[in-house]
Amino acid sequence: MADWWPEDLEMMRLRLLASYERPESERRESKKMAKEITIALAGNPNSGKTTVFNNLTGARQHVGNWPGVTVEKKEGICNYQGYHIKVIDLPGVYSLTAYSPDEVIARNFIVEAKPDAVVDIVDASNLERNLYLAVQILEMGAPLIIALNMMDEAESKRYRIDVNALAEEIGAPVVPMVANRNQGTDELLKEIVKLAEEETTLPGFKINYGQEIENEIAKLERLLSQSGLSLDYPPRWLAVKLLEGDEEIINKIREVKVG
Amino acid sequence: MDSEEILKAREESISHLKSIYGDDAETVTADARYGFISGLLKDVLKKPPVERLTLSDRIDKVIVNRWLGIPLFLAIMYGVFQFVFTLSAPFMDWIDQFFGWLGGYASGISPDWLASLLADGVIGGLGSVLIFIPPIFLLFIAIAVLEDCGYMARAAFVMDRVMHKIGLHGRSFIPMILGFGCNIPGIMACRTIENPKDRLTTILINPFMSCGARLPVYVLLAGAFFPANPGLVVFSMYIIGIIVAIIMAQVLRKSILKGPSGHFVMELPPYRLPTISGVLIHMWERGSLFLKKAGTIIFGVVVLVWLLSSLPWGVEYASAQSVIGRIGSFVAPIFAPAGFGQWQAAVSLIFGFLAKEVVVGTMGTIFAVEEGILGDAIAAQLGWTPLIAFAFMVFCLLYVPCVAAIGVIRGETNSWRWAGFAALYTTVVAWIAATIIFQIGSLFIG
Repeated sequence: MADWWPEDLEMMRLRLLASYERPESERRESKKMAKEITIALAGNPNSGKTTVFNNLTGARQHVGNWPGVTVEKKEGICNYQGYHIKVIDLPGVYSLTAYSPDEVIARNFIVEAKPDAVVDIVDASNLERNLYLAVQILEMGAPLIIALNMMDEAESKRYRIDVNALAEEIGAPVVPMVANRNQGTDELLKEIVKLAEEETTLPGFKINYGQEIENEIAKLERLLSQSGLSLDYPPRWLAVKLLEGDEEIINKIREVKVG
Repeated sequence: MDSEEILKAREESISHLKSIYGDDAETVTADARYGFISGLLKDVLKKPPVERLTLSDRIDKVIVNRWLGIPLFLAIMYGVFQFVFTLSAPFMDWIDQFFGWLGGYASGISPDWLASLLADGVIGGLGSVLIFIPPIFLLFIAIAVLEDCGYMARAAFVMDRVMHKIGLHGRSFIPMILGFGCNIPGIMACRTIENPKDRLTTILINPFMSCGARLPVYVLLAGAFFPANPGLVVFSMYIIGIIVAIIMAQVLRKSILKGPSGHFVMELPPYRLPTISGVLIHMWERGSLFLKKAGTIIFGVVVLVWLLSSLPWGVEYASAQSVIGRIGSFVAPIFAPAGFGQWQAAVSLIFGFLAKEVVVGTMGTIFAVEEGILGDAIAAQLGWTPLIAFAFMVFCLLYVPCVAAIGVIRGETNSWRWAGFAALYTTVVAWIAATIIFQIGSLFIG
């Protein structure tokens, strides 16, 4: 694809191609045989999320709306080594608070749909800000893969990133990529399949908030687990959100039934 | 164990933490996460030592400095207005002379009514607006330069702290700054604000940002009534606009638009040298709208004002007995407490709803003179003092934005009620502000 080719034109071209791809019956068949994996793409705005999404799904895309809001929801399909991978593009966000509909959509999807992997597209040339989202995804207990995008830009800034150390310290696989040049897509798919196959729960990721806050978190966490309220979210995460004054979570707690 | 109990425990924990940290738990948890990340990056990321401070970073050390940021912002804005005024003065003189000559030529035409239409109406009215091409285009150049070099994003960043205090955030400041050019793109830029209440508040206060169309009113009156330093007076209008916007944002956020404000990470693009073609394109995009307005709305209104000033036939042109004089006389008492209770002022304000330049155009048509001596004509015939002129300028700044802006508010909020509310409350605020200025000012000046 030429550089001057505008992105939405490209989308139109892809959709057109998709419309006369394989007949519906054939598609259903392959779906039956293949193993199903659902993944969510998260990431800051301008982290190259859309490019990664296009690299993964190519022509097989569908654009709709998230229920109840006018935020665009993009879904795509990627067939890889006998796997039928459903890719959901989450809205681009910096954080997972309840301050914007985008953020609420992103985190609700992660908790409620329980995707097999959450791929966070991280701008390698801007690690500090981008990792803030990754940390919050980990705190929700979601199976995270970090797609370390824009490695070329990081290199041109002469950053040296120790990918293995990052993966080890954060406790999640890290895949270096240059999505613009479609580099790293295959490696990313490998990690996705691996994580989905493993079915192992990640080692519980914890941020140490300091003694005082940890005490209060522990208190609330205990109350939450004893309450018998049916809540999808991990108790520790709920406790932190309650302390942060997260309106959406407070309302959820208020409305939830015992059972 | 039920949810009530959990929420009660939450309240206790929060007040306990607040007493320890003196800050919301939210701030402390965010700090802890960033602390974790920066610890992590010490092991993971090696940056080249020279890169630490780019030129942009070094400039930012001064520009967005905690103490220098806001004074610098004000100084830059002041510099912009001085630049606009000093540079545009000679050009305005030329245009004025041209219209003076044209008017003299037109008044010799027969029949008489056509001479009056051309000289008093079209040339007097349109001329008094077109003379503002130089300052308006220069202002747009200045705004384009500030935008293209990356300063506007910094201005928003600097104002972020102030904006937070009023329950908005720095993001809301970008639409406000755009409003200096024209409120319509300013209001449309509010789309980028996610939080619906932040967005509505920012839309509703945008009309207080003094758009380019109001500049003619200030230039005319400041030049005539404050010859010593017109630039400073015009600058004060922009500042009053910002202050009123901030006050009203706070009022709205605490009354009908209560709720928490959104958080946003602000990106500061690197400084760039603006290109001449980029600046000229931006200037033309906005400036051509002014020319288009002059050719359509303003021209139409000017002819209408001339007609209403001449009717009923035989009446003395633009006298209190003309149709326009009667309309104005009917409305004028409303403005008496603010000092400008003359029918001519009332009429120009009414027509100003169509486009704010029309305030000047209407005066030009009524007094049947072009810009060069219009200020003097107002001073002589209406008996205005500098104080009244100032109150009138403040009213023009704050009262209902033009009909196009109201239309855009309707489009962006998808509600006629909010559009109507915007039209009404701005006018009430304008009347109160102008009245206060005139009444309190009168106590001191007499």
